[in-house]
Amino acid sequence: MEEQGELTRRDFLKTAATATAFVALPHVSGPQAGAPSPNSTVNYGIIGTGTEGCTLLRALARIPAAQCVATCDIYSPNQMKGIQTAGSKPQLYEDYRRLLDRKDIDAVLIATPLNLHTAMLLDALSVGKHVFVEKTMFFKEEEEKPIRAVAAAHSKQVLQVGLQRRSDALYQCAMDMVLAGAVGRVMFVRAQWHRNNDWRRPVPDRKYERLINWRMYREYSGGLMAELASHQIDVANWAIGAEPISVVGTGGIDYWKDGRETCDNAQAIFEYPGGQKMMWSSVLCNAHYDFNEQIMGDRGTIEITLGKGLFYTEHVAKVSEGAPKESWWAGATVSELAKQQGFPIYRATGNKTLPANDAWYEELTNFIASVRDGKPVACGLEQGIADARAVIYGNRAIDTGQKVFWPKTTS
Amino acid sequence: MRRQPPKRITGLMPAGLLAGMTLVAGSHGLLASGGARRCTSEPPARSVAEELERYEASHASMGAKFTVAAYGRDPKFLAETIEVVFEEIDAIDEQMSNYKSQSELSQINREATSRAVQVEPSLFRLIQKSLQYSEDTGGAFDITVGPLMKAWGFFRGEGRVPSAEELHTVLARVGYQHIKLDPLGRTIEFDVPGVELDLGGIAKGYAVDRAVGILRENGITAALVSSGMSSIYALGAPPNEEGWKIVVRDPFDSAVAADVVYLKNFSMSTSGNYNKFFKLGGRTYSHIMDPHTGMPVENMLATTVFAANATDSDALSKLYVLGTEGSRQYLAAHPDIQALFYLPAGSEKKFKRVLLRSASYNLPPDALVKIIQ
Repeated sequence: MEEQGELTRRDFLKTAATATAFVALPHVSGPQAGAPSPNSTVNYGIIGTGTEGCTLLRALARIPAAQCVATCDIYSPNQMKGIQTAGSKPQLYEDYRRLLDRKDIDAVLIATPLNLHTAMLLDALSVGKHVFVEKTMFFKEEEEKPIRAVAAAHSKQVLQVGLQRRSDALYQCAMDMVLAGAVGRVMFVRAQWHRNNDWRRPVPDRKYERLINWRMYREYSGGLMAELASHQIDVANWAIGAEPISVVGTGGIDYWKDGRETCDNAQAIFEYPGGQKMMWSSVLCNAHYDFNEQIMGDRGTIEITLGKGLFYTEHVAKVSEGAPKESWWAGATVSELAKQQGFPIYRATGNKTLPANDAWYEELTNFIASVRDGKPVACGLEQGIADARAVIYGNRAIDTGQKVFWPKTTS
Repeated sequence: MRRQPPKRITGLMPAGLLAGMTLVAGSHGLLASGGARRCTSEPPARSVAEELERYEASHASMGAKFTVAAYGRDPKFLAETIEVVFEEIDAIDEQMSNYKSQSELSQINREATSRAVQVEPSLFRLIQKSLQYSEDTGGAFDITVGPLMKAWGFFRGEGRVPSAEELHTVLARVGYQHIKLDPLGRTIEFDVPGVELDLGGIAKGYAVDRAVGILRENGITAALVSSGMSSIYALGAPPNEEGWKIVVRDPFDSAVAADVVYLKNFSMSTSGNYNKFFKLGGRTYSHIMDPHTGMPVENMLATTVFAANATDSDALSKLYVLGTEGSRQYLAAHPDIQALFYLPAGSEKKFKRVLLRSASYNLPPDALVKIIQ
């Protein structure tokens, strides 16, 4: 078994090994891809066509301006799935660098295990591709610097991070409300992502365990913090308008003792510069509270998740100077429900409610429009870095049992 | 035993008291004579009204939204005091709710048929008072109508018309005479099974009075307490006003005024058929029951009663059940009450109003009830 695991690992990482070495080498800027002209089609290639990659492909297949010309994966069932999902007869690659060699590719999407993001991101930017990288943007603290450097050297290219709540109309509406003061002063964000399953994918052959269930292994993955909390930390960063300054956390492999290395029961509290806190929990043995974020201010609460947002007001006191014209109403008791029902959040123009589209469709529509028409990205470098840092420090707090402070030198 | 100092001092002292203290200090030579002269001879730079701040807060309790507005110098102190008010109202709800199985009232309902249950003093007094209102109103007000409300589907229900047999059965356990109180032992007992106490017709008014008590204890002299509009107590008056302006809603339209009232150191409560009712077979059944017949009261839209305190006005808003004629007898025997009846006037959306007053009507000099149609 040990041997099998090692073999698999070598297989799996052979592309990554070269790429990781590349990080240390001085970068040679590749040719800048000219921005496609408006109304033209954006040719893209996708690296990683597992579950998330195929989710991206399905959304992209509904965007006429996007054309999938290449896919890349090293696992054959995923290779087949990717080609079928793209529906455009893309060329299949096993080595992502061959995909990057293609001059006709404008944009590259990266949906691989977390430990591979940075190498692929740097390579793709360096050869002039526009890049969409799945969250969490990067895996290790030291990867931030080269990413900043390469992104700065290729600032004309689009770099978007796949934190799709940033592109979701409901979340945007909720954040407009937060900005407008609907919940007052935001002091606390509570978020949970609870499931009642082992968070594994089925493995047809044990030799593929680490490849398929990479999320279970610390060599490739930041576990629940990187895969689930990253979305919710981003929501907190967005609502509070800052990134955290410190984090405490705890976690363990407490329920699914199946050889995994990442926590199945994890909690963390992030602190922000204004004293705001974000409390997160993820458990894999109870799904009652499912997943959402609760943004709490002194005037109200927004409880939100993909597809559903509710706004609750606080019974807020009114203070006014002097004597306004008093006018009170009397009548038979107006019943008040003990628990507020919450007002649904939706975007509207005039009397018309605007339907919210699938968040993946929106983020990729945004990405393609950024590539083709120069539209600003919904979630870019800084948001991605702030999010990745919080994931990295959050996991460090859990691992060490110590409070972790953000480095003073960072912005 | 050492007396605890008052918890909150800030903002407690009314302007007059402060002025008085300054004079005392001056007479002891602690103030320079110039200072004392300035205090007495020059008008204050700002009037008292200008210095007052208004604080208003709401809180959901007893199935209604309680709102308190108060004037004072220190909004923080007002906020803290009103928070104490809301805690008090919640405590009353915890004790007296018939919707909460753990409340003392629910326990009485479960056990008082089989044994004499000892009751907490304030609840005991309120039940005693309730029985007094029942006797005084010939049973129009009755805290045992709960089973009737349930039979008609008004308790967590959708509304239904019970059969005659069902009503007959239910009426056997309705009636305040079934409540036996022993003031010495402070116990309650029911003389037939199935009696249920429901303080829904008095507890909100009682809570308003307790709220006003807390406001008074804390030196607040201008405030209004409203329990979801149904019971309102006006403590003092807003700055530079003769009273608190209160609009009585039209029975057919919650946004239209039927009457305007200026109220000061007095209370008003309203019972109306418009918020809780159901329609079936072309008939409208309201939630206000005649405890004698077991049927919803008809030919009345709303009744607003003015009394010295909200416990009284809340209970007496059940003059609704007696109607104008039936209420005359009560008003002949009980002083200082006004009742404003809103009666159907034939056609839809129209009503006529009848104002009745106690035969003996002499409000205290600091109270005001001014009704403007």
